[in-house]
Amino acid sequence: MQKIDKIVFGDNQFFGINHMSQEKAQQLTEKFHDINNIYKVYNLVYDNGIKAFFLNSNDRAIEICNHFKDNNKKFPDISFYVSIPYPYKYANMVAEKGIVSSMNDILFKNNTIGGAVGMIAKGSMSVISKDAIKLMQILIDLEMKMFSGLNVKVIFLQNIITDLILGYNIKEVFEEYYNYVKKKYNSIPGLITQNLPYTLNKMKEWGIKDMVICSSFNKIGYLMSPDINSYLDVIKSNNKNDYQLMAMSTLASGAIKPDEAYQFLENKNIQSIVFGASSKNHIEDTKQLIEKYI
Amino acid sequence: MNKLKIGIIGMGRMGITHYSIINPHPDIEIISVADTTNVVVSILKKYLKNIEIYKDYRELIIKSKPDAIIVCTPPDLHSPILELAAEHNIHTFVEKPYTVCYEDSIRLSKLFESKNLINQVGYVNRFNDVFHYVKEIIDDGVIGDVIRFKSEMFSNTITSKDEGKGWRGKHESGGGVIFEMASHAIDLINFLLGKPIKVSGTSINKIFSKNVEDIVSSTIFYNNGINGTIYVNWSDTSYRKPTNKIELFGSKGKILADQHSLKIFLNEANTKYNYINGWNTVYITDVFRSVPFYVRGNEFTGQLYHFIDLILGKKNNSISSFNDGADTQFVINEMFKEI
Repeated sequence: MQKIDKIVFGDNQFFGINHMSQEKAQQLTEKFHDINNIYKVYNLVYDNGIKAFFLNSNDRAIEICNHFKDNNKKFPDISFYVSIPYPYKYANMVAEKGIVSSMNDILFKNNTIGGAVGMIAKGSMSVISKDAIKLMQILIDLEMKMFSGLNVKVIFLQNIITDLILGYNIKEVFEEYYNYVKKKYNSIPGLITQNLPYTLNKMKEWGIKDMVICSSFNKIGYLMSPDINSYLDVIKSNNKNDYQLMAMSTLASGAIKPDEAYQFLENKNIQSIVFGASSKNHIEDTKQLIEKYI
Repeated sequence: MNKLKIGIIGMGRMGITHYSIINPHPDIEIISVADTTNVVVSILKKYLKNIEIYKDYRELIIKSKPDAIIVCTPPDLHSPILELAAEHNIHTFVEKPYTVCYEDSIRLSKLFESKNLINQVGYVNRFNDVFHYVKEIIDDGVIGDVIRFKSEMFSNTITSKDEGKGWRGKHESGGGVIFEMASHAIDLINFLLGKPIKVSGTSINKIFSKNVEDIVSSTIFYNNGINGTIYVNWSDTSYRKPTNKIELFGSKGKILADQHSLKIFLNEANTKYNYINGWNTVYITDVFRSVPFYVRGNEFTGQLYHFIDLILGKKNNSISSFNDGADTQFVINEMFKEI
């Protein structure tokens, strides 16, 4: 398996996501309303030698992807780590219309979500509705459209989706996801999960390996189910040739001071860290700390 | 020990979520699901070979004989399903709103209690770590006697014209912002302060929905002089996710809280909780309780594990019973009388 980058720059801060405070989230949304402020941050990050960017497939990511495609001479050597799908855009739709008409809209109408017209050669609604795998493949293609033309190193299944499907205990879905991402997109298949021990054990049990698994990993055990000790055990004994591990939420939304947070990750058998920041100092400091401890 | 046999009725958005959350629980086994929609049923049939699948909830209850059911159908079906479940001695978790008829909500609560059956309503905020903490400090008198409150909820759920054809578009089937969302904002206040006695000044707005309201506000009164307001809007596009906000003003200070953090202002320092006089902030990262399997948030796992714990006798403190649900239904019922 190709090695993943040690430092990956995340995008949550650009989209008003802060798990700790809705007020902070709102301030960030205002700051990054002008997309040029996002590009300024990417320039700082790139100038700092970080060449791996994490993107969620929300609507604004389309614009960001186009920016990188248009400026590929300026950023010739970037790898993208993408997470699909962005669940909120579907969740509201399902709440408003119900599951069946949402599926109809997503798959057959040229709406803002993806514009699937022309991608439905794989079958009609009645066929798709009986075949979750085919449905999944169509949704992956829809979500991946915005990233086409970029160097996508890892395709992650977003955590709400990973954990939701994991609960159903259906091996085929993960197997087919793995195969499809590998064959069609030539990327490393990845899973984001808030249940790392459970996920790792299931993948081992099912014999699905050569993946990247991304999970919250922080000193206070925030968003780490079932608990921090189970995480420590499973990470310690992990074989990184089978599963490369990427840590997110390392600062627990700001609850842990950076130095303390990254020191905790020292010698923990973690291959990569994704972090978000918006100022020059913060980006430089975080990079230095990660390099010091990891 | 034999595993607890669970059936799930209604595989819409909440049914799908509850299935995933509870399926990995080591002490339970999902034996059956029921849904009338072909798409969901056909996908389940293909991949879940060991599970009995029904179109009719009656068959699920009578033929598959579960020990407990999780009910996630449109709300107008809740009463007949709960009735049948009680008749067959089945413990029941039902999604909110608990019923569409206040009289049913009282009758069913008494029925389940009289048969010693575990009963729970999906008022998930009662299991949110921040609101749980707010309850603890209010009960401990940190802000003194509560005098006034505000409970608000916002989301961008309904943002385009709704002709009212689905169940969400009609009051009779449990649609509208009062049933679907204000129920959460009301229940949160009931959770913190108990059952109120009077509702007044309810007003609504329709923005996108043809037959039901999109915004509601109302004033709620308690017999000890506490009162406050409810304001709920499900067409507010400034919110990315559904958000509850509460404000409680007391004789010693006040609390502002949402699902992620709380701010406490105190007139005098509190040494037990280590609060200074003036403003204090507590984040979810300070008060979270980890759950065994995370899907949509700690509170969603917490409430279902609590339901199982009650059935297995591992806990006996019912947190969101049918009786609590009936108290919330009382307020909803009073609101409807005014509009």
